Amino acid sequence: MVHTAPSEHLPRLTSREDFEAFRAQARKRWTDLWEGNKTVVSVGVGSSSIAKGALDVLAACRQHESESTVVREVSGNGAFWMEPWVEVKRPGEPPVVYGNVAAADVSAVLTGARQDLAVGVRAPESFNGIPSLHEDPFFGHQQQIITRNAGVIEPDSIEDAIARGAYDGYFKVLFEMTAEEAIEEVTTANVRGRGGGGFPAGIKWASGRKAKARPKFIVCNSHEGEPNVYKDRHLHEADPHRILEGILIACIVCGAERGYNYIGGEYPLAIRRFRKAVADAERLGLIGKNVLGTGHNVAFRVRTGGGAYICGEASALMYSVMGVKGQPRTKPPRSVEEGLWKRPTVANNTETLANIPDIIVNGGEWYANIGTENSKGTKLMTVQGPLKRHGVVEVPMGITLNHLFNDIFGGMREGHEFKGVQTGGVSAGPLTKDHLDIPVDFDSLSDVGGMLGSGGWVIFDQNVCVVDFARYLTAFNRYESCAKCVPCRLGNPALVEILDRIRFGRGTLDDLTLIKRTSKHIIELSLCGLGQVAPVPLMGMIQWYEEEFRRHIVDGVCPTGTCPISSGDAVLAAGD
Amino acid sequence: MANANQTHEMLPVPAPFTGRKEIDLDAVREMVSHFHYEDFEEAQELILSALQEVNEIFGWVSPEASEIIARHFGTTSERVFALLTFYADFRTQPRGHHHMLICHGMACYVHGSQQLVQQMQDTFGVRDGDTTADGNMSVQVVNGCLGVCDRAPVVKIDDTYHGFVDAGTLTELVNRAVASRSEVTENGENDGSHGTK
Repeated sequence: MVHTAPSEHLPRLTSREDFEAFRAQARKRWTDLWEGNKTVVSVGVGSSSIAKGALDVLAACRQHESESTVVREVSGNGAFWMEPWVEVKRPGEPPVVYGNVAAADVSAVLTGARQDLAVGVRAPESFNGIPSLHEDPFFGHQQQIITRNAGVIEPDSIEDAIARGAYDGYFKVLFEMTAEEAIEEVTTANVRGRGGGGFPAGIKWASGRKAKARPKFIVCNSHEGEPNVYKDRHLHEADPHRILEGILIACIVCGAERGYNYIGGEYPLAIRRFRKAVADAERLGLIGKNVLGTGHNVAFRVRTGGGAYICGEASALMYSVMGVKGQPRTKPPRSVEEGLWKRPTVANNTETLANIPDIIVNGGEWYANIGTENSKGTKLMTVQGPLKRHGVVEVPMGITLNHLFNDIFGGMREGHEFKGVQTGGVSAGPLTKDHLDIPVDFDSLSDVGGMLGSGGWVIFDQNVCVVDFARYLTAFNRYESCAKCVPCRLGNPALVEILDRIRFGRGTLDDLTLIKRTSKHIIELSLCGLGQVAPVPLMGMIQWYEEEFRRHIVDGVCPTGTCPISSGDAVLAAGD
Repeated sequence: MANANQTHEMLPVPAPFTGRKEIDLDAVREMVSHFHYEDFEEAQELILSALQEVNEIFGWVSPEASEIIARHFGTTSERVFALLTFYADFRTQPRGHHHMLICHGMACYVHGSQQLVQQMQDTFGVRDGDTTADGNMSVQVVNGCLGVCDRAPVVKIDDTYHGFVDAGTLTELVNRAVASRSEVTENGENDGSHGTK
């Protein structure tokens, strides 16, 4: 079994005073680090930067470790476009971030000979002609609450996390407020489920607390099967203690005996860092029997997924935790009544739980001031496609897509023209450039067939054929269908078949009607959320780009030249 | 363009791979013995983790290994096999000497990953899940995402990511990976498996 050992030097805390003393010590350690006379070198190591050689850069930096130089492994900061990056804080100077550093550049960066690689200063003021990172639109337009520790703390260090405020909310729930008060704050904050559903967490928690059966469980859903969304991975890699704290608070408030975190198996680094966080928290005594002498018992288990998209659905996820095939079931009973092992279970998304500590510490009122009328707080968003920049950002709800794409992500790359943006992963329709000024929150995009969902946006350019893209999205759902109920299992392959007919130049105008009819059946008759939205991307593509479908069918031409219709295959298809 | 409706097999069926590293069953027994559980429920929860570990270390899970795991957790090997085939991360066939993941997430798709899948099929005769006839390279198309979208399209060969890959560079990458293995064989440093031409 993958045992992640806790840090040996951590003491065991058994009372309120113990924790306060430990926190004071951690804070002092943190201040000493940044105000001392050592050079502090931090390397951003996350899944995305490892792919670009961040581990080599880290190894190169370690060679310079000495009495006067500290080297730290922090996580990525969401700015994929500047990875791998190294932050150097020299005594008496603010920390300077250098981007796109290769291992060979490290010596020169540390001596200050490569100021051309400097991206910005991680401080409000500029320094020596290097602008502040806040002046960079990528960082300047963000509102970082749950990602404020990303790239700042060492994710493997519980002391770093505690110095930056981790477990303050947990502490408050344990000693300073009742469970009812905590639920009241979460309800006032009106934090809604970040996985895409948008169900208010406060209501869920209240019914979780009311459930009488024992034991009760909290399950954190960190299974991001959605292609091109990695907000939860980013959170796990950057600040695992924040997620853990959110789950522990939920355990105390709902009276649950055990917390679970179900992490997608695709994220080895996220799993490793989270396991380390759990091991350290256990050693400190924040998890276990009689937590800090309060009499509360909280157990914790980490479970990992096996690459099935459907396991993001709550009931499927619970089956997967129970070691069987992850297939959704009919509701009711809802999981709050009968969930994991038929016991009351409250399931929340990672990002939702990551918001909880700040809500508890700062109050629901504070949180409710951020965002829009119906969608409070901030949202992590990932944007991909031919843009100048890439990454994960945290922005307030109500931002427009125009602002997000053009200001924060720098607009389209040279030679690429915006054609549309696929929203809500594979669960919603695309939007065209006419829709980019709608403020984005949980509900606002539904009128035009889009969805905020889990905050993933994929932009496609003039080279992408919408028929081919629609086929890709439908084929994704076909592949990921759990095969339990018939409409989804047979309907999606049927749709792919029709789309292939069109792509090969054998489509007829009746096919468009057939698509609509088949889609209606899948949407209305499927059991779970996957089937109910599987044809939505396709419907959206037809809604906004019907002309392009017709060109394929009527003229036998793919305007972008990507479909088999435009190559030799078309002849084959026609002669068939 | 790949076509799901294509039923005819234009490419040679991969021959059985003889040079594979067999799963060391003693190692599996040793590994499984570290999974402690207190009750039935916890045992069930741990099955997937144990399978993942075997899959991680050996690249696949054999029927013998699943039998050991099934016994340890008090269940049947049929039930374990059902898990292996339901979850996409598991392989029930051994990997090649190199293992390639072709990212087929949406960002890679809009940058043309479909052509890479096609290229592997046309040039090397391997589809998703297949291993080349000489056992050098197995290929897996990742329906989710490798999460390096700023370098799309991306492939991962063994532990190395390669970004901005097109059909030309893909062939070169595969050939280079295969060639590096031949060198090892010539130096006599390989694991005793058969060499390449």
